[in-house]
Formats: sequence, C-alpha cells, structure tokens
Amino acid sequence: MLINEIVIDDNNMGFIPSLGISYQLNETAKEIINLIKEGKSKDEIVQTIAKESGVDWREVHIDVEDFFQKIKIYGLI
Amino acid sequence: MRVAISGLNNTDNPGPGIPVAKSLKDEHTLIGLSYDPNEPGVYQDFFEKVYLMPYPSLGYEEFKNRVVQIKEKSDIDFIIPNLDAELPLYIKYQDEISELGIGSYLPSLECFEMRDKSKLPKLSKELGVKHPETMEVGSLDDLIAATREFGFPIMVKGNYYKAYKAYSLDEAIDYYYKISNEWGFPLLAQQVVSGEEINFVGIGNGKELVGGVGAKKLTTTELGKVWSAVSINNPKLLELSQKFVESTGWRGAFEFEAMANGSEIYLIEINPRFPAWVYFSTQLGVNLPQMMLDLASGKEVEPNFNYEKEKMYMRFVDETMVDFTEFTKLLATKEK
Repeated sequence: MLINEIVIDDNNMGFIPSLGISYQLNETAKEIINLIKEGKSKDEIVQTIAKESGVDWREVHIDVEDFFQKIKIYGLI
Repeated sequence: MRVAISGLNNTDNPGPGIPVAKSLKDEHTLIGLSYDPNEPGVYQDFFEKVYLMPYPSLGYEEFKNRVVQIKEKSDIDFIIPNLDAELPLYIKYQDEISELGIGSYLPSLECFEMRDKSKLPKLSKELGVKHPETMEVGSLDDLIAATREFGFPIMVKGNYYKAYKAYSLDEAIDYYYKISNEWGFPLLAQQVVSGEEINFVGIGNGKELVGGVGAKKLTTTELGKVWSAVSINNPKLLELSQKFVESTGWRGAFEFEAMANGSEIYLIEINPRFPAWVYFSTQLGVNLPQMMLDLASGKEVEPNFNYEKEKMYMRFVDETMVDFTEFTKLLATKEK
C-alpha cells in the first residue's frame, strides 16, 4: 500500500518517495494516515478520532469512510 | 580529457548536450558539435571550440570526414552523442570511430534496436513489465484502425521524436501529418495509460547497472520535456532498470520512461542516451557523464545510487550577448 510510504512534513504536506506525488493534508487527514500506518482498522480509527474530538462516532464514521474512498481513488490503498 | 558533445539546443525543447557539458566542464576541455548556429548552447561559453556537423542523413563518409577534420584541429579524445537521430550512425560505426583515436561508450547495434519504440512490446514481455498496446502506423488506414482498437484519447508518436495525445480522429490525423511531414514513417499509435510519469536515468557497463537517479516530472514543456521534477526512490523502477541492463548487456547511458498506476508500472519508452535532465543527477551527486568517461577509460567505477530524495529540479531561462561575428563565423566557416 502506497499510503504506508507517505512521509508527512511539518507543513502537513504528505510526500510519496517512490512516485514523487504530494498531498496537502489537514490535521485530521494526517492523523488518519498515521493511524493507518500504525495498522489500525477503519473502526479503530473512527473510535480514536471520535474519542479525541468528542464528536459522535456516527458522524466521524461518515467522514472516515469518505476519506477512505478518496485515498482508494488516488490509488494509495 | 578532450570531450566532444552534441545536442546543444537549449530552448524549451532542450537537448542533453548542455546538461552533459555542465557535468564535465570542471574537469575536461569541451568541444561542441552543433547542427545549427542558432542552437543557444553554442554561445554558453562551455566549449573551447564549436564545429558544425553534417546532418546524419548524409551518411557515414560525410560524417567521418568531418570527424577526422575535428580530430586534427581539436584533438578530441572522446565523443558523447546526445541526439536520437545521430545515434544510429555513431553506434553502427563505433569501431571505425575508435580506430580514429576517438573513444565513445555506446550500446551495440543489436541492443539499440531492441529498445526501438516499435520493438518495445517484445522487450517489455522479456523484462516482465507491462507496456501500453502499440500499433505501427504507415498509412491513414492504419491510424483509423488503431483509433478503432484503442479508442480516445490515443497517443500518436514519431519513431524518434514527438508524441501527442489526440482526443478525436481529426486531432489524430492532424498529428499524423505533423509528425510524418517532419520525421517520416513509421508512426506509432499507442493506448493511453493513466498514472504518474516516472523516469530513471542510468548507465550500464554491459553487464550491470552502475549508477542512476529516479525522478518524477512535475511540469513539462509542450513537447513533454522536463521543466521541473522531484527526485524519487522507486524500487520497482530501479529493479526494472537493472534487469534491462543485465538482460540486454546494455553499455552506455539510457533513460527509462514509465507510468506508475498505483503499484503497477508500465514501460513507455527507453531512450538510448542521457536525457536533458541529466544535470539533476549530477547535482544530486551521481555524475553519470563522468562515470561514462571513467568506465570508458577502464577505471574501477563504484556503483552509485546514493542521492537525496525529495530534491527539486527547476529549469530556468537565461540570456547572454555575443558578437554577431561568432554566429556568422560559424555559419561561414562551420567552426568558431
């Protein structure tokens, strides 16, 4: 999975060293990517973010699902 | 060493000559070989002397006579040809050129032909890499048949130069005439593969890959030449380049052009020379033109793939002023 390669710098720019592609990330995207790289499942990611942000897990689930769809389209997972 | 270098065009369709010259200028005396006094590189002060060359289409005798004259006048030790159209001549007659006391570091004619655009599907199969479906086009009927097979968009390519993406039959026919009028036949029609274009410049010693750098084009000129790029480390591309050198016995410089779609790699083209972005590799600490001279001299050359990733390459425009007589002298006497 290309997402495991992504290197995130201090400006929240994610770089894929094998392809030279960059993505501008917000804090949540950065956190989701870091959790994916730690091997967490989608459900575990939803739980972690819901707990940290205090937002209802159902809302978080929709956003995380949407994010997974996007990175699938980008060929990162 | 006294090194002659061709490919001095340095416009928005840059040749590799100036990047090669920049890689060697500190250690060697350079002689420029030009086909046109309008080539900007002629006036960039990298060359002790610049000579106009006869067009390769005039054949070996013309070429040989000119090289002998240049050898007598400038005592060149080595030639680095950098243009696709002249390479067949240099490769075919590399032994004869060597007998004139001029070294070169080129692949065999067999290797050179193996990576010809029309033979790439076969080579790709041997290397175990995907290659976009390609059809040879010798007539409008062939082109129409190819568009029926591949649909749109479709790539219309010259066998040596030029490649355009056509989105309709009218556009494909326009490119067909544009390329064939300038470069002749055959043309190639190729399926378009989506993804990220990634490239690798390397040098083989006839047995193994000795050095190289990977890059992704960020912006290009209208002709697809790199204007900005970023250094990358793509293990699959490196492995493919190694396999290419080892299985063909490639000797000399080459550029691999590939498309990466997720983890899939499609081989698009193999150029049998340094690309115009080769100075990027020099700046990254992998001086491939210098490695070429060392390999040709029989020196022990340590493999070098050590370079920093995420470094950015940016081409820019520069200006200069020279006496107009430099131009007219080159035009009138074929040297300056």
